[in-house]
Order: sequence, then C-alpha cells, then structure tokens
Amino acid sequence: MLEMQGITKRFPGVVANEDVDFTVLPGQVHTLLGENGAGKSTLVKILYGLYHPDEGSITFEGSPVNIYSPSVAIRTGIGMIHQHFMLVDTLTVAENVALGLGKPLGLANLQPIRRRIREVSEEFGLHVDPDTYIWQMAVGERQRAEILKALYRNVRLLVLDEPTAVLTPPEVTDLFVTLRQLTADGRGLVFISHKLNEVMEISDEITVLRDGKVSGRTTPAESSRESLAMMMVGRPVEFTRTIADQTPGEPKLEVQNLRVRGDRGELAVHDVNIDVRAGEIVGIVGVSGNGQRELAEAIIGLREIESGQVNVDGDPVKTPTPKHVRAMGLAYVPEERMKYGSIGDFTVAENLILVDYDQAPYVRNGLLSFNSIEERSEQLVGDYSIRTPNTSTLTRKLSGGNIQKVVIAREFSGGAETLLVAQPTRGIDIGAAEYIHEQLLIQRSQGKAILLISEDLDEVMALSDRLVVMYEGSVMGRVSREEATIEQVGLLMSGVGELEISPVAG
Amino acid sequence: MKPRLVFKLLLALLAVFALAVAGCGNDDDDAPAAEPAPAPAEEEAPMEEEAPMEEEAPMEEEAPMEEEAPMEEEAPMEEEAPMEEEAPMEEEAPMEPFRVAVVAPSASNDLAFTQSMFDAVNALVDSGQIAEFAITDGTFIVEDAGAAIRGYADEGYDLVIAHGSQYGGPLQEIAPDFPDVSFAWGTAVDTFGLPNVYSYSVRSDLGGYVNGVVAAQLTESNVIGVIGPIEVGDAKLYVDGFATGATAQNPDVEVNIVYTGSFADVALAAEAAQSHISAGADVLTGSAQMVVGATGVAQENGVLWFGTQANQTPLGEDIVVASQVYRWEVVLSQVVEQVKAGTLGGETFIMTFEGGGLDIQFNDAMDIPADVLASAQATIDGLSDGSISTGQ
Amino acid sequence: MNDFFTVSIIIATLASGIRLAVPFLLAALGEAVGQRAGVLNLGVEGVMLIGAFSAYYAALETGSAAFGLLMGLASGVAMGLVYALITVVMHAEQGISGIGIYLFGLGFTDLLFQKQVGTPKPISGLQAKPFDWLAEDTGRAGELLFSHTVLTYVAFLLVPVVYWLITRTTFGLNVRAVGENPQAADTLGVSVNGIRTAAIVIGNTMAGLAGAALALEIGIFQQNLTAGRGFIAIALVYFGAWRPVGVMAGSLLFGIVSSTVLQLQVQDVISGSVSSIANMAPAVLTVIVLVVVSRRIGQPAALTRPFTRDS
Repeated sequence: MLEMQGITKRFPGVVANEDVDFTVLPGQVHTLLGENGAGKSTLVKILYGLYHPDEGSITFEGSPVNIYSPSVAIRTGIGMIHQHFMLVDTLTVAENVALGLGKPLGLANLQPIRRRIREVSEEFGLHVDPDTYIWQMAVGERQRAEILKALYRNVRLLVLDEPTAVLTPPEVTDLFVTLRQLTADGRGLVFISHKLNEVMEISDEITVLRDGKVSGRTTPAESSRESLAMMMVGRPVEFTRTIADQTPGEPKLEVQNLRVRGDRGELAVHDVNIDVRAGEIVGIVGVSGNGQRELAEAIIGLREIESGQVNVDGDPVKTPTPKHVRAMGLAYVPEERMKYGSIGDFTVAENLILVDYDQAPYVRNGLLSFNSIEERSEQLVGDYSIRTPNTSTLTRKLSGGNIQKVVIAREFSGGAETLLVAQPTRGIDIGAAEYIHEQLLIQRSQGKAILLISEDLDEVMALSDRLVVMYEGSVMGRVSREEATIEQVGLLMSGVGELEISPVAG
Repeated sequence: MKPRLVFKLLLALLAVFALAVAGCGNDDDDAPAAEPAPAPAEEEAPMEEEAPMEEEAPMEEEAPMEEEAPMEEEAPMEEEAPMEEEAPMEEEAPMEPFRVAVVAPSASNDLAFTQSMFDAVNALVDSGQIAEFAITDGTFIVEDAGAAIRGYADEGYDLVIAHGSQYGGPLQEIAPDFPDVSFAWGTAVDTFGLPNVYSYSVRSDLGGYVNGVVAAQLTESNVIGVIGPIEVGDAKLYVDGFATGATAQNPDVEVNIVYTGSFADVALAAEAAQSHISAGADVLTGSAQMVVGATGVAQENGVLWFGTQANQTPLGEDIVVASQVYRWEVVLSQVVEQVKAGTLGGETFIMTFEGGGLDIQFNDAMDIPADVLASAQATIDGLSDGSISTGQ
Repeated sequence: MNDFFTVSIIIATLASGIRLAVPFLLAALGEAVGQRAGVLNLGVEGVMLIGAFSAYYAALETGSAAFGLLMGLASGVAMGLVYALITVVMHAEQGISGIGIYLFGLGFTDLLFQKQVGTPKPISGLQAKPFDWLAEDTGRAGELLFSHTVLTYVAFLLVPVVYWLITRTTFGLNVRAVGENPQAADTLGVSVNGIRTAAIVIGNTMAGLAGAALALEIGIFQQNLTAGRGFIAIALVYFGAWRPVGVMAGSLLFGIVSSTVLQLQVQDVISGSVSSIANMAPAVLTVIVLVVVSRRIGQPAALTRPFTRDS
C-alpha cells in the first residue's frame, strides 16, 4: 500500500531521517517505535506533506506520489491524527468536517455532512454528535471526531501520532477496537507510540527508529518489551524495580478538603484529602486535565485556595506563596520543565541555584558569590550525572532529560523533607527516565515524603506505595500498590466506580 | 531585511496611489490657473489674502505627482521648507536680505490660525519688508516644532516665529542659545524676560463681541449656537466675547455653547452644529480648524455663520455673514522694523482694532441691512475708545 | 435647561448619535472580519483617512459623490492588498505594521490634500435621503428612522450581511477556522493565506468606506479628519466580542453618548468648564467596558499570530 524508500531529511545541524525505508500493507497496523527525537514525527510529517524529504521516494497504492502539502496527502488518501488535535475548538464537529470542502463562495450547507457523519459513526462505532462544539467534548471524543474527519474524506492510510497519550485505559481499549475495524475494512494504519505494552498489543509489524535510522524491524510475536526497548535505546533497560519495604513515618504533607478553581473559574479540585508520610511515595494518577495541575499549584502556593487547608510538616500553610511554602520544607518539580521548572536562557549553574540564590553561601552582603555557586553547581552536575559541556552552558541547549535532571538536582538537594513532583519523565528519553525513577526511590529510602503526580500509569504503579486516582477534580479511589491492577485503576481514571481499597489510605 | 521590505512596499504603494490620484486630477494639471480658486473673483478679500496662494499654485502643480513619492520618504515636514525658499522676491533682496521662518501647528491653508500668520508673512514679503521666508507647518507635536525652531535659528534666520502658545517650553530653552536671532512667540503675553523674544497676542474677544452684536440682530429664533474646541486660550476668548456681545445687544437672546473637546474632530463639530439647530439655533459661530464641519451643516440647513481667525466666506457664500480676521502683519511689521533696528525682543504686542490688526470682514454677497453694518462699526469704535467692554 | 427632555430633542439627539455611529460601525465591522481571520489591523485609522481623502478628492474633481464613494472603496481595496502583502505574505509583526499604515495614511493624505486641494473646499456630499418621504408621514419615530443618508442604511444593513457571511457561508466557516486554528485549517486544504488576504481586503474596504462616509457626509476634508475614530473602532471590536451585533451595539452606544454630551452642553445642563471632562465620557465608557469584558470571550485564538507551516 505505502512504500517509503531511502527517506533522508536534514535540518540544520541534525539528520532527522537517514535512509529510512518504511512499508505499510493494506489491513495492517504498522507501528513506528522510538524515543523522542528518534525521527518518527519527521517521517510521518514527510508522509503527510508537512515536510519535504531531501532524498528518497514515496509510492502509494502502486504509483509514485509527490506529497507537497496536507491537502495533497488527503487527496491521495492519506490521513493523519495529530498528537495535538487539528480541530477548531469554536466550531462544531460538522463544521470541522466541512472545512476545506464545498465551493469557497457558496453557502455552508451542513445538512448532507451531518447525515454522512452519522452514517460513518454508525459504521465504525464512533459515537460523535455532529452538532457538538469541539470545546464541549472530552479528549476521547475529540479523537473520534478527528478519526471521523479522516474517514469522511475516505482516507485509506491513517497515521496516528501518539493517539493513546491522552486516553484512559478503557478509552485505549475502545480506540483499539475502532482501529481493528478500520484494518478489517482494508485500510492501513501507521501507529506511533513509545508505550511498549500498547505496541505489543495492537501492532502487526513494528519498525524501530533510533537517531533517525531504522534500528530494527520485528513483529510482536518475535519480540518482547525488553527487546523492543533494547532496539529503542541501544542498551538493555531494566523494567522491574524492587522497592524495599519500609514503614512510613510521620505525615509530612496533609491536604485537607481542598477546593481550588481552574483558569476559567470552574471548580478544578473538589474536596480533595491526601496524606503523604515520611518514607513513602503517594502517586496521583489521572488523565490530563482532571485537576492534578491545579492541585499541585495550590499546594505550592501558585494558585488561590478556595477552601480547605494544606499542612507541611504538621504546620498549616498560613501564607500560601511559593517562597513561604518552600521555606516550610516543600520542594517542587513542576510539570513543564522549560516553562516553570527552569529558565532556558540561564546557565546550568544559575538554574541550579534558582531557589537558593538569596541564601548564604550563594549571596554575601547582597552580592552573588560566584565561587560558591560554581562549587555547588559542579558538585550537583556530578552527583546527578547531568550531561552538559560545563556549568555555564545555557540550559535550553541541553536535552530534555538533562534539563529535567537540573530541576531534580536543584529540588532534591535543597534539604526539603517533602517533595512534590509533577510529570517528572514526560517527554524524556528512557535512560533519563530510569535515572529519575532511581533518584525518587533513593529519596524515599532517605525518608522523604513524596507526592508524585503523573499521567503515566506505568510509572505511578511502578513507584508508588499508594495510588490516588483523580477524576474531574475529585478523588475517585485509593489503592495500595499490592492491590492495584491496570484494569481497575483504568476504570477509576475514566470515572467509573468509586473505591476505597487500601485501609492505610488517608 | 523585513522592515526594509515593508518600507519599499509602502513606497511602491505610495507611487501607485499617487498615480491614481494624479489620474483623478488630470484636468487640474492642464489648467492650473483656472481651477484652484473659484472664490477669489467675487471676493472682497484684499490682495494680501489671495495673492500668495495663487503664486503658490503653479509652483506646486509643476511637480508631477509621481515625484512626490520619494518626498514622503524623508520627513515630509522638513521637505516643505526648501520648496518655499525658492519663493518669490529673491531678486529683490537688498544688501542684507531679511529672513523669517515660521513654525506653526496646523496647515498653512487651514482658513484659520496658521493661515492667518502665513498670509501675514506673505504680505510683508510683498511689501518688501521680508526678503525670504520659510515655513514648517502641521507641527502639532511640540517636540517636532522645537526641532524646527532650533533648526531655523541655527541656519541664521533673522526672525523665527513660533506660532503656537504650546511652543513656549521649547522656545524658552532654545532662545538663550541663539542670542543673535530674534524670536517671536504667540499667541502669548510672556517673553520669559529674554532680550531676544517678542510675544504677540490678539484680543479675539473684541471681534467676537462685534460678531455677537451683529448675530443678535440677525437671529429670528433668538437662539444662537457656539462651537468651541477646548475651553482655553484664543478660542475661549472669542467664545466669551461673542456671548457677551450677543446678550449685550439683546438680553433675550439665548447663547448655547458647546466645546467638542477636540481641535481636529470635524465630524463632532458637524454634530454639534446639528445639536444647536435641533435646539432652535438659526445663527452659529465657532473657533478653531474643526469648524469646517459645522459650516457644512449650517449651509445645508440655511443657518447663518460667523467666522473667526480668517475670512471663512469660501466655506459658505450663502451663509457666512462676517469673519473676524487677524492681520498679524501689523504686529509683524513692527517686530521686523525693531529687529532691523537692533532690538531683538523683550516686548509684547497685543492686537486690537486699533492699527488694523483686527478686522471684521463682511461677506459682500450677503444682503446685510445698513443699520446692522452701522451698529458693527459703532461697536468697533466703542471697543476702541473704551466705552464698551467685553468683560475680559 | 429643562428643554432637554422634550421628545423632539431626544429624537434629534438619538438621530445625531446614529449618524456619529456610522463611521465606527463600518470600520469596526470590517475590522471584526479581519480579526475573525486572525489578523489585527491597527492601521484602520490610516485606511479611513485614505478612504476619506480619495472620496473627497474624487468628488471634488468630478462633482460626483457617487464616484467619490467608488474611489473611497477602491482605495480601501488597495490598502487591503498592501496590508495582506505585509502581514500574510511577509509575516511582518501585525501591531507595528498597523501603526505604520496609520502614520502613512495620516501623513500621505495631509500631503496630498495640501498639494492638490489646499484650502478646505466644501463639496456636495452624499446627502440623498432615500426614505425621507416616509419620515414626514410617520411622525417623530419616522424622523429617527427615516431621516438618514444612504450610507447610514448601508452601514446598518451590513450588520446582518456580515453576520450571515461569517456564520452561514463556506467563506465564513473558513475565516473562523483560520482565526482559531490555522494549522487545522491548513491540514484540510484550506488556503490560510488566501482566506486571510480576503478577510483583510474586506476589512480595509470597509475602513475605506467608513472614511468615505465621513468625508461625504460632512462634505469636507481636513488633515486628520477621522480624529482617532479608527482606533476607537478597533476597541469596539473587542467591546462587541467580535460579533457584528455587539459591534453595532458598541458603535451606537459610543455615538449616542457623544451626541448626548453635545446636546447636554447645548441645553446648558453641562457648562463649559465641565465639558472637557464630559467629552471624555465615550472613551472612559469604552475603557470601563473593556475592563469589564476583559475575559475576551470569543477572541480568535490565533489573533496576531502569523501562519507558518512549520510551527
């Protein structure tokens, strides 16, 4: 169906794709697997006409094609579900589908489009109401609308760029059912993911990319998570972690009946109670946008608390500002390392003292003491194996994983006994993620109390002593690690059932 | 790279636009002398008023429109100066040609404040008192005016006229740097104690009073509307003088006063006139350059108009009864002679009817009763000999 | 003083407010179309001035107000193409380019006026009142509704037309998509640049029309004739939350407050010394409303963001 041969794409200073061959057969799910920056996105953007290859050729359904723009791709029969949905929020589903159709000067007649949308949704079990506005829809629904948009245009090859990243486990199951229906219909699918479990489940074939080159071709039957990870990273990766049993100590962070409003004034956190004790990791899990960000911001003092209370180290937070809360013994790793966690145009050394810059020994008589700062940052760069040419390198020039290590180093080394850690491994390479997981466990063994907020269910389940599942701002359930199963937590994440399993849950 | 492209583009557009406009104006180019002023023939207006304008016309018409594009590219304000410098009378230059420069806030043909000075300087050029003059007009931004004033002083002009009360600040800083240059500043009554600064002002309330007296006799509804810009300076003097004169003539007359809050908002002035008319006014007057909006409304509704600052008859020959006209040349002539004699400043001139600095010019095309004309003259005499006061 | 509340004065004041609203309405409706497509044009004032001068000068030379109107529209189209070239094709920063257009319009019209016309010369503008015959039979309400010139009716008629254009046509759908999420529109084969160019041309043409309406209604031109109306029109787009009816409400409010302040002075309710404060009322009101509606509900998400495919 699709043959991409010898695709090479260079960007200034980088070769994003080097001599990549990629073939999709009709009725097949072909997975592109690789770490961030391995060249998956570049390859599919070339396929969809957003980039132009420097070398190589594309053949679709037997004839060579020159896809120079997305509309050509659509006309050729190639559709794409972008990771960030290409939907206009202020329009309805039908209007989104209608975009680009019809005579430019004509009336927008949505009636036939609505009818056809209903037919297509029926056929593939995609439940979408054509007259709903996109902004009113949940993430899963939006994705269905995206798929519908492609099917409406009768694409025969559909590219799905990390489609499961925003979905709950049950939604992923639904998506896979839909994908199977599409392949049964003879369509080809390109599936992009870095979640190995899903890849093993849905793929017919797997092509692994590393540093822009194909590092392996396989099928689920011939491979394992370990072998796939090996192809992705280029070295063996440890998946199972042994977590030493230890008895938790005093409560360090207590969140009581917390209510917080979101950016648009809606109630984003709804009567949430959480305790974190010394020497344990409590994981908060939930699909993105269910109040986790607001919860974290309220705890650290970045967001106004409507009612309820936060205690750090047994004392209520009276002045909810980051400086004060930090002084009470809370460290914070924010979810967006480049936006909130660090300043890209500052050097590594400057970012490492971003919190303590006004404390001795970094400041003396109102002046920064560069010697102490230098000494300190050299030490942290070594301790946390931050890969940087030197401490005066601009932080934005580092890789995502190393920037995150800078943030982690700063926050973990400050002597705080309670750590609030949000999305610590999102978008970073497996090696760095492994390292950060290790660090979290070291902190735990040192008796720190850690509240880990993550959308990566695997991560939370692997590290946490207890899991708290959030859905629409409320706690849907609490589960201890021993009792937790993916299925059960997945259901909670999608708002089904409410349970209270662990007796130790606070 | 980008800004330059944008700039080129603007220039290109300018050329295109200039072409279009030049296209419209073709007739004009063919017959420059015939078109520009339909008014002058019938008008009583003295020679000084119109002559300079006609002299200008051909000069400007000669330049083809396309060539104006590059002109705009540099600062347009400065550009105008050299053009005027080519002006008439150069051959008449005596031993030491006396050179005058004017910096003014609005356009030199605004039929109001700036034009009154422009005409005055031209009159002195005609009479030979001034050999050469340059003008930078439209400098409603005070900083720009300051730069122009300093520039002219630096170029060695004998007299630099800062024609705008808002120019006092820059002048006070600049004048001490050029002790050999004389400056004149108006409308103002302060010379800052500097030996090389003259100030000049005008009792616009006097003409306002006379206009008011005449207006009160011509109104039938006994409602008169006044449109001012902002309640300050020359405009306020005129408005207050007018109201005093009208009610002195006829206590039953109701004078409604509106300040629009803007010197520039022509449309608002037009609506102010509408408001006056809807309230029953059958005579209107107003001060500042935005009144050109009001005269149109007056014309449309057949309502009488009284002008000030310049002869506004061309704005509506059927409705303009009289205009108070400033003859700055009266003051200017004295200033020039004193500068030539070596006194560079330190004196304030205030124009009144005496000496002809103020003048009421009636529209000859209007049929104004003789007794009304007589009462106007009587009022002028009364104001001059002190038997009548405007209350200012 | 107590005359103010007579019916005829109130009618006259409202009619005056409607007249004052027309240039705001035309310019703001056009600007709303451009902004819905994601393009901010701060140069509305400059385009209005160019439209006003073109209309005035053409009418002065030919004696035909209709021809003047045509030239006003044509100059708007020309300015639209230029602005599209600057912002859509060359991706220049919209705020700065708009200011450039304003300064250009201000200086250029002044220059041409001085060179080509000189002294303000009255023209016979568009004084035709198409429904005047109705006004006589329908009493005072009729005077309010039927005593206006053609362009007033055109302006108010454009409110439903623009609404229909934006909400009911394929073009309007594309405009909305391009202003919210140009990337999404692009992936579906909508020409983002084409739609934005068209929206800009529509917006500038209406700004040109607004200027022409001003010049032809008053029958005169002068330096800076528009006196800041273009900038207020931009504020009114925010005020009206990018919707034609909202823009109309804002324009009317602004016009009527202005005319009321004038009438209150005529009636001596407000004396001269207070007038300078009262004259600020419309502007103050706008600022207050803008603060109150500061959530910017309905602001196109991609407003002022140039579109490139690689972002």
